[in-house]
This record gives sequence, C-alpha cells and structure tokens, in this order.
Amino acid sequence: MGALGALRTSNVIRFSLCALVLTCVSARSLPAQGESSPAAQFEKRRQRLLDVVSQERDRGFFTVTSKFITGRDTEWAMAMLDSLTTDEGIGGMFYSYTAIGTYLRLKDQLPDSIKRKIRQAYRTRTMYRGDTENHWVMYYTGIYLAAQTWPNEDRSQWFNGKSSTENFKEAEQWLNRWMNITSTIGQGEFDSPTYFIVFMTPVLTLYEFAKDPAMKRKAQMTADLLFADFAVDHLGGNYCGGHSRDYPDDIANPLSAPAALWAWLYFGEPKTELWGETRYHPRHRGGWETASGATSSYRLPEIIYRIATDRSRPYIHTETKRVRNIIRFGPEKNPPAYKYMYMTRSYALGSLQGGILQPIQQHTWDVTYISEKPNNTIFTLHPFYSGKELAMFFPEEQKFLSDEVNRYHLVYTNPNKWNSSSPYEQTFQHKDAIIVLYNIDKEARQSHIDGFFPKTLDERIEHNSGWIFCRAGSVYVAFFPLKPYEWIEEKVNWRWRSSVAKNGVVTEVGSSDEDGSFEEFQHRIVKSKPAFNNFDKTFTVHYKTRRGDEMKFTFGGERTLNGKKVDFRTYKFFNGPFIQSERGSGIVKMTYENRVRELDFNKVIIKEWQQSKQ
Amino acid sequence: MKSIFSLLFAGLLIVVVPAELFSQVSTVYASVLSTKLFVVGAANPETGLYYQRSSEDTVWHHMGAKNIREFGVAVHTPSRGQLICLASGNGVHMTTDGGSTWRITTGWQITEVLAVTIDDANPNFMLCGTPYGVFRTLDRGTTWVECNNGIAQKFTSSVIIDHSNSSILYCSTEDGVYRSQNRGDTWKRTGLNVGGVRVVVQSPKDPDVLIAGTDDDGIYVTRNGGRYWEKSEAGLDHLTFFTITFDPVNPKILYAGGYMTGVYKSIDGGVSWTRKNVGLSNLNLHSIAVDPTNSNRVFAGTQWGGVFRSDDGGDTWRNAGLSGSQVWQITVQPF
Repeated sequence: MGALGALRTSNVIRFSLCALVLTCVSARSLPAQGESSPAAQFEKRRQRLLDVVSQERDRGFFTVTSKFITGRDTEWAMAMLDSLTTDEGIGGMFYSYTAIGTYLRLKDQLPDSIKRKIRQAYRTRTMYRGDTENHWVMYYTGIYLAAQTWPNEDRSQWFNGKSSTENFKEAEQWLNRWMNITSTIGQGEFDSPTYFIVFMTPVLTLYEFAKDPAMKRKAQMTADLLFADFAVDHLGGNYCGGHSRDYPDDIANPLSAPAALWAWLYFGEPKTELWGETRYHPRHRGGWETASGATSSYRLPEIIYRIATDRSRPYIHTETKRVRNIIRFGPEKNPPAYKYMYMTRSYALGSLQGGILQPIQQHTWDVTYISEKPNNTIFTLHPFYSGKELAMFFPEEQKFLSDEVNRYHLVYTNPNKWNSSSPYEQTFQHKDAIIVLYNIDKEARQSHIDGFFPKTLDERIEHNSGWIFCRAGSVYVAFFPLKPYEWIEEKVNWRWRSSVAKNGVVTEVGSSDEDGSFEEFQHRIVKSKPAFNNFDKTFTVHYKTRRGDEMKFTFGGERTLNGKKVDFRTYKFFNGPFIQSERGSGIVKMTYENRVRELDFNKVIIKEWQQSKQ
Repeated sequence: MKSIFSLLFAGLLIVVVPAELFSQVSTVYASVLSTKLFVVGAANPETGLYYQRSSEDTVWHHMGAKNIREFGVAVHTPSRGQLICLASGNGVHMTTDGGSTWRITTGWQITEVLAVTIDDANPNFMLCGTPYGVFRTLDRGTTWVECNNGIAQKFTSSVIIDHSNSSILYCSTEDGVYRSQNRGDTWKRTGLNVGGVRVVVQSPKDPDVLIAGTDDDGIYVTRNGGRYWEKSEAGLDHLTFFTITFDPVNPKILYAGGYMTGVYKSIDGGVSWTRKNVGLSNLNLHSIAVDPTNSNRVFAGTQWGGVFRSDDGGDTWRNAGLSGSQVWQITVQPF
C-alpha cells in the first residue's frame, strides 16, 4: 500500500464520521428549496454559463471541458485538447492543475490516446512552480491530484524525478500548510479581484477530486473562507476596498475584474451577464476559469450568499491579512496588513493602512458605488516604483528588476499608473470618512499624487469651500484636497493631480438614504473643514466628520478617534457582523441572522447551528 | 612521394607540439534565467542550462528542464560533468549521468535557489544559497538541511566551499560575507561590514584570498580569510558588481562586471582595474568565466544580451550567442 495508502486509510475513517454528523446538521438547517431559492437560481446561472462557454472557441481547458459536458462541439474540443496536450511549449503551474483537472473531469469520455498524452505531460513537461502564492496553489494542486491519479510510480515516471509517493507527500504538506496559514493569518495575495480566480479554481479542483476526505473537506472549507472573504467586501458584483493585487483596468472599472463573474455566478450580482457587456471590457473572457465553478459539485453555503447580498444595514468590517514574504530589506517576513470596510447598500468605502504591503499592484483605498455606468469608483494613489521595493519580494537583482517587471506589468514605472503601493502613503478611515496622507521623499522618482474621477459621474462640483463634490446617482462623495491640484482630462476619467510632496486628501461618502438630497449632503459637509498647518512642522490633520466624529491623524504617528488612540494591533483576523475570527485561532465563524456556520480548521470540521433570537 | 612527405610532417608535429594540447577541449555551461519574452506560466522560449562542448563550437545545446528560472549551475569537475547541479526556482536540480536524467532534490521548503556549489573532493557535500538562507546536503541531495545559525540577514546570493578545507564555507548575504568553520553548523560574519554583497569568490590558489562584489559599494578584497577587507578602488568607476572571477591558472588576473559596468580586468590581484569593453555591446553583466585550458578565452554573460566571448584576455569581445537571454552564470570546465 505504501505511505500514500496508509495515510489515506486513517483519514477516511476519521472524516467519514465527521461528514455524517455534519451532513445531518446541514440538512436540518437549510431552508426550503424553491424556484426562487438561491440554490435554484445558482443552478440556472451555472447552466447558463456552461451554455455560453461551450459556444466559445478559446484555447483552454475550461472551454474544452464545457463543450464535453454540454455535448456541444466535441469534435473541436477533442482537437483542442489534443493540441493542448501536444504543445510542449505550454507548462508550468497553470498547466499543472488544469490538465489533471480536465483529465479527472472527462476521463470517461476521453480516448486512451489523449489520456496517455496527459499522463505523458507529467513525465516530460517542465512544470515551473512559480514565485507567488497563487502559483504554488496551482502547482501543488496539480501535483497532488496527478500523484493521486497515478500512484506507486517510480521516479523515472515524473518530470521532476520524484516518485508518486514523494510528489504526493510534498504537495499534501504544502497545501495543508497553505490552508493553515490562510485560515489563521490570511493570504499574502489577499482580496484580489483578479487573482481570486487563480485561488478559487485550483481550490475547487482540489475539492472535486481529492480522494482523501480530510483534504477534500479542507478544500471545501478553504473555498468557503475565500468566498466569505469576498462576500463581506462585495457590493453588486464589485470587489470593493483595498486589494493586495489588481490590474489598472480592473481598478478603474471594477466590474471588468474576473472576480465579478464569480460574483455573478455565486452571488447573483450583478444581474447583467458581464461577458456581453462591452462597457466593462471584461478581461475574464478567454480563460473562462469561472466555468470550473459551474462544473464543480461545490455549492456555496447559503449563509455566504446572504452575507454577500444582504445590504439592508450598513456595517463596519475589519480584517488582518499578511504581507507576502519579505525576503530582504525588512525586519519581519510577513508583517500584518490591516483592512477596514464600511459597507452600505449603495456604496462601500474600504482601505488598507498604506505603505508597501505588496509590490507592483497594490490598491490601497477606494469608494466604489452601485451604478449602471462603468468606472464606478474614486480613489487616489502615489505612483511609486523602485528596484528596492521589488527586491524586497523578488530575488533577482534590484538594479534590473524595474525593467523586468515593466515587461510583465506594463505600467510599473509609468507616472500615470492606477495601481501602486507606496511607502509614502498612509490612511485612516472611520466609517464613511477617510484621511489619506502622503509624505513623498525627495528621492522618490515620482513626486505627484493622482486621483481617479470617472467621467460617468453625474455631477462634479468644485465648491468655494475647497471641497469637491461628486454625485453618482444617489451616492455622494465629498473630496477635500489639502494642497493645490490640477485636472487632466483622459478618456474615461478626470485625473486629479497634485504635485506637492507633503500632501493629503479627506473624503466623506454619503447617499440619499442618510443624507437626503445632494444639496443637503453638501450643506452638512461644508460645516466642517480639515484642519492642518502647512505640514512644515507637524504632519497632522484634524477632521470632524459630518456625523460629529473627531479624527486626528499624523503621518507616521498616531490615529485617534474622538480622542482615543486607534491601534491596528487590536484588529482581529475577521471582525464584523457577519464574520468573526481571532487571529491565529484557525476558527472562522460566519453569522447571518440566527444562522451560524463555523469553520474549524484545527479539527477540519464544519459546524452549523441556529442560535436563539435575541 | 606525397604520402611520404605527409607522414614526415605528421611525425614532426608529434615531436614539436605537446601532446596535451590535443586534449585541451573545454565545455562552457551557461545558466539562462530568462529571456526578454518570458512570461510566467505562458508558452515560453526555452531557457535553462545550455552548453557548448568544444571551445570552437558555435551552437548552444540545451540540457535538462526548460523554463525553471535557473539562476546558477555547479559542475563537478572530477567527474567530468557527470554530476551537475542547477540552482532554480523549483529548487536544486541534479543529474548524475551527465544530463541524461534529472531530479529535483529539494522539496517545498527550498525555493528560488540562487547559487549552488559541490565539494569537488566529496561530491556528497553540497551547499545552496537562497533568499531564505543557506542549506546543505551531506548525502548528495537526499536530504537538505537549513544551516543559518549566526546569519542575521539570510538572503544569500553566493556560496563557497573552501577548496583547501571543506569544513570552511563562505557566503555572501545582505549584511556582509559570512564564514563557517564547521560545514555550516555555525556562521560568523567576517570583517566585511557592508550591505548588499552580491558575490564572493575565492582564489583558486590561495584560499585566504577572497573578493566580494556589492550592490552599491564596489569591490572588496581580503587576503586573510575574511578577517580584514580592503576596498579596491583604483580604476573602478562603478559601484555595482554581480560577478567576479579569477583566472584559474594565474589568479593575479581577475575579471569583474555588474550594472552598466562592462568588463573590468585586474592583472595585480584586484589592486587596480582597467575597463575592457571593445566589442561588448551590452554592459550589464551577471557572469564572467575564464577557460581553464586557455586563459585568453573569456566568456561574459549579460542581462538580455546573451553571451559574449573574448579570445584575447578581454581586449576585444564578440557576441557568442544566446541573444536576448539573461545569463545568470557561466562556468567553463576542462573537459
């Protein structure tokens, strides 16, 4: 039997018992199913997506799989699969999990010749593991499932010279480690509207095909966790607030991000079918990774669906994540990243604390609102770049790194880019108000800050009080620049630019729900004005919000709210009305009305219960 | 009649030309990290380990796995290249049969390996440097153990096993050059107290002579095993050095290169330097190697410019292929 088999046997016994108990609990707590139930609506969208993808002719495993499942265009799909398994140029982590996932999904329909080619790929093809968290999740998911599928084979049968047993053990160890870290101190590539798909897809693949009940359940729990993490920041298909990594087009047009299609499938929002919406220029066409959700037997727990879609009451939600591995120039390998989210039914204001939490693609804060129009977001940033920033996270020479990264992420050194971390940016948010300060070093290559203001705003008014007021439907934004600025007209937006090194902005967001008319909102806002000296001696801003809360923020110093110091170190792993978790505990509790779902990653158990109404 | 003359001429050659010259072939190994077209996970142009079997060979042959983000290569000279290790993103790859079969010897714990070295006398003992510190194996890669006791900043870009005493090791890190006297059980920082040491190399003759290149602080030389280091400045107009190499026959001769430097040559053991860039169209260097069978033959690996070669000790250079490649390391072997 070998180590592989022995390991599985003990787990099978242990976890089949757990599964039995939990299934009973789950069945009792589920509400009645009907045509309009979330589950029934999901089934419709799932079928619809498969129908759409199966009509596409993109070169990829997900398109192929959709065609086989729907029985459409299978001759073409077979030829494409043959091409994908023949082309030696393709390899690496993306191939690692999609090839085996397709094999396992379709093995009863595939001819032996194709099956042999897929097997051969794991003998001869280089599977580069990559250098990011998502790369490793994809790589090891693929290795785990391939070694599980072809057990007891010796070293000569694998591209990396390791036996089936060695490959399985290595992949199993790393996947367990990743899921433990993700459920205790968070992802390094957290809350990414783009990279969400390359975590979700391998995790669902692992859930679908892992034979070890422990691994299968852990994958299910991790899928729950990733969806819940998205759900609390979700508004109408938009992945709101601060992100570790995102692409400029998706930051400026949130519903063009790949995560939006997952929101459509699992949360039923937005209502529109994004792939046909040219206004969003959807980047998720082509890969169709979301089809892996449509083919999976994983079902989103209804509680997460409710968390994602119930915006009947505003809420504050905070989180702690981690910075990806800092390999040099930093005292700590994975310092914490702190997130704050204020969510309403029409807008969300969310932020990270600022600083370098991720290289290249960080998105520190934004207000994102519900709108029928694209580019439904406002934010500012300092377009920072440096070889040293990159060298903190990548092992290549820092003198070469900026040029190298520019080749992948075409805008890294561009002064007009819309994604960036910056050591010279810090935030302080309280509910629907945020102060963002910039202290740009003289040596920084780019010394200006930019703000994104979409042309799709219904109104943009420069008030003589110094406030800039914006309206998008029933959402109102008040924006106070602390230093002189200019406007630059661009294709889809107005670029607000200020070139003063010691700088900052104050923003408040409201809506007709709580502020009445736009004029009433403005009237409430102009009663207060940020107080600050010229930043010559102290770099401090005082601001009293329209709600009457006193915020005081010193760059590099204290944040105080109504005279009380705000200490990020008190932030929990998750803390809000819907999700609660102590950092490091491995236990994540989701709550919606009287329903509770608890993920216990230590015991690999899911518990569900109903608590008595208060 | 003609055949008699031919025979006589051949005999004359045999008499006047030393026999060993006929066997002085060499093999150049080039470790290609990337190309300009590389995109993670995509269908990429081939990268990895390349070699030229003969010094006159103009074609580069690929060996081993492709597209593994290969940083470094260590060739075991006594086995004539039967044992080769590659430092790569996936870990340490190893062949024991001259490249016919390969195996990744490391697990998930070791990644983005920047340098690897093999003890020539005892090839079971190997060392690798990574962003997470130094790891060693005493059983030819069956098990690798982290050995960073005493190293403050773990990011390690080069490692050395002392050729005269394999208990003594050196490594270059983000906070200086470290030395171990017990095969890596413990380390102590040498007298070089500068940050960002990119490379440290040891004289092939005198083990106490080492030279270090840094990110922003030029070149340093020690002649007492690291106790004291002197900054080498004469003739140097640059501060960033990624590669330094000794002429294996005459260690008074050195070559150095780095960011925008082109090639610097020293003929006095690193006391003074002269730029040697005629024909070198890419001045960003990451590797230089001297052919041990012919000291005039020098190879330089560039950033995105492939390999350049000199046949006159660096006086003139010409492109030698792998154009567009990022050549992280080159080694030339006497077989």
